[in-house]
Amino acid sequence: MACAMIPLDEQQVTEATGPLGKERTLPALHPDRKEERCFVPYKPPPEDSSPAQVEEYLEHGKFITEDLDWLLALRHDKFWCQVVFDESLQKCLDSYLRHSPRGLDPSSLPSSPAVADMQRCIHRAVFMTFLRMATHKESKESFITPTVFGEIIYNNFLFDIPKILDLCVLFGKGNSQLLHKMIENIFTQQPCYYGDLDEAVLSVLQVLDTILAKCGLQCEGATAIEPLKLSEPSRPTAMTMSQQDLVDLVLYLCDTCTTIQAFLDIFPAACSTFHCHSFLNRLASFYEVAVPDIEKAVRKRNFDDKSLQEDLWRRVCHARRRMVEMAHLLLQHTCLQPILEGSENIQTFVEELLQHFTTFLPEKRFLLDYDEQFPIADDISLLQQAFPLLDETRTSYLLQGVEDAWDSIGRRRTQYRPQQT
Amino acid sequence: MSPPRLTGALRSFSTVSKQEDFTEEVYDLKTKRLKRQELFSREGLTWQKIVQFFTQHLEKAEQQAAAHELKSILQAAKQIVGTEHGQDTIESAAVFLFETFHNKDHVGHEETRAIKQMFGPFPSSAADASCAAVSRAVAPLGESQVEEFVRSQSSCRAPQRGSAFGRNITFSYDCYTLDPQEALPWAGGPEDETPGGGLDF
Repeated sequence: MACAMIPLDEQQVTEATGPLGKERTLPALHPDRKEERCFVPYKPPPEDSSPAQVEEYLEHGKFITEDLDWLLALRHDKFWCQVVFDESLQKCLDSYLRHSPRGLDPSSLPSSPAVADMQRCIHRAVFMTFLRMATHKESKESFITPTVFGEIIYNNFLFDIPKILDLCVLFGKGNSQLLHKMIENIFTQQPCYYGDLDEAVLSVLQVLDTILAKCGLQCEGATAIEPLKLSEPSRPTAMTMSQQDLVDLVLYLCDTCTTIQAFLDIFPAACSTFHCHSFLNRLASFYEVAVPDIEKAVRKRNFDDKSLQEDLWRRVCHARRRMVEMAHLLLQHTCLQPILEGSENIQTFVEELLQHFTTFLPEKRFLLDYDEQFPIADDISLLQQAFPLLDETRTSYLLQGVEDAWDSIGRRRTQYRPQQT
Repeated sequence: MSPPRLTGALRSFSTVSKQEDFTEEVYDLKTKRLKRQELFSREGLTWQKIVQFFTQHLEKAEQQAAAHELKSILQAAKQIVGTEHGQDTIESAAVFLFETFHNKDHVGHEETRAIKQMFGPFPSSAADASCAAVSRAVAPLGESQVEEFVRSQSSCRAPQRGSAFGRNITFSYDCYTLDPQEALPWAGGPEDETPGGGLDF
């Protein structure tokens, strides 16, 4: 039995081992203390709902829930031995994050009530397992030294940036507070995750570039695409690519935007890392260039299946909204909030915020969609109250720019939604 | 196949996650069933305890009939697990059949599923035979007596849900979905009618 009030990473246990039951002392966190359980990887619910496939899914699901329930009922020390040293457990959890259907997936509705029930059971058990894995102190007696906890989760890839993003998009809608605590604890105890996030943001920017490139477009700041030789066939665009490619492109865009927005909403501390890579400007440019092109393709291409076309349209609208929300989150947490909180370098933040709004002016589509959801005039008004020295000429210029953009399309704002600040 | 995902791209093209090792073992259902059988046989009720239970609770005259039924259960278990397995495996399977059928009078869907999950595909006649044998074996005993015996012996196998991590945590099954309210009007009308009220710059 492990000793009380000593962190798990310093505990020793004496256990009977071997056929003769000979006693030996070993660290509480030791591979020999792991149970051979053989966790099976997760497979998503079958699409065609044939009885055989449903049976197989239910069997798989039963094994997973049974094993995760067993894991969650283990004592703290045994739980961590299993988590750290059982590769099959990590594969099982990882496979769930990768393959579990998201609410946004085209066919995310389970085929039968039994499948839906099983999916819910697995969903909860996986979340609870990650929650326990993100908790370094369960009780007064059951805890791990914070720095050692940080090393354990990082060195064993118990959490990584893709997993954290998956957790946000799978569980964030209804469990945002718990997820916030989990992710905050992970980043606090292991700051190396900020470095990984930094690298991941570069990859996210590449994803945006890839989407543009697939549409035959190029974004400011993106890697230059070599000019085409005259003899080369022209690059496909959203209008000319195959229908399946267009579907994949829209799904990819939708997933990307939902994932990043969910992550930033749940863990706003990540905004500064995105901000360092001028993500906001790249996002606005991307929006301006890609959205009209993809929208046009979805609207004007000839679809045999009209319901598919309408579904794609809803996805593009969804992605648009998430991008605007992302931009707002970034502005809110990197500029507005420090200003409203009266930070030391308030003038720098004010300057940065105004600069961002100024950069939005030529990106009319983005500007108006942003203004419609989060009126820029409201933010300027807040600024004026928090920072009375604000240059009025500049703010007037900005507000006039916004009004001119609205006038140029001959339309007024359709609705105001309350700001989420 | 899953739709294209951002996290899939991050896993493939960045170095922030563990690179997949395709040589590592992934357990399939067959291996998992064998492991479950092994775990089942290690804990809780044993065949010896079942034999002992009947010996202790039946009159001498009834014991012979019970022994006959227990033998039938073993025979059915042998058909289910396959003849290549040893006596321990067969007895363990017989325990499973006894636990499954001690309070059932026929082989239902749940029982079929439970047996399949433990042993894989099996002859249904063996399940029927074992179910009938268990029913006949427990008939002379009180229902509650058998129930109490099985429950007390099997309790160490079941996970201790009362103390499981997360039991008191409120969990929401809500997930991100497409919100029809967010979609801009889909006119599908004339070419010049742009969605979003004319933002086609």
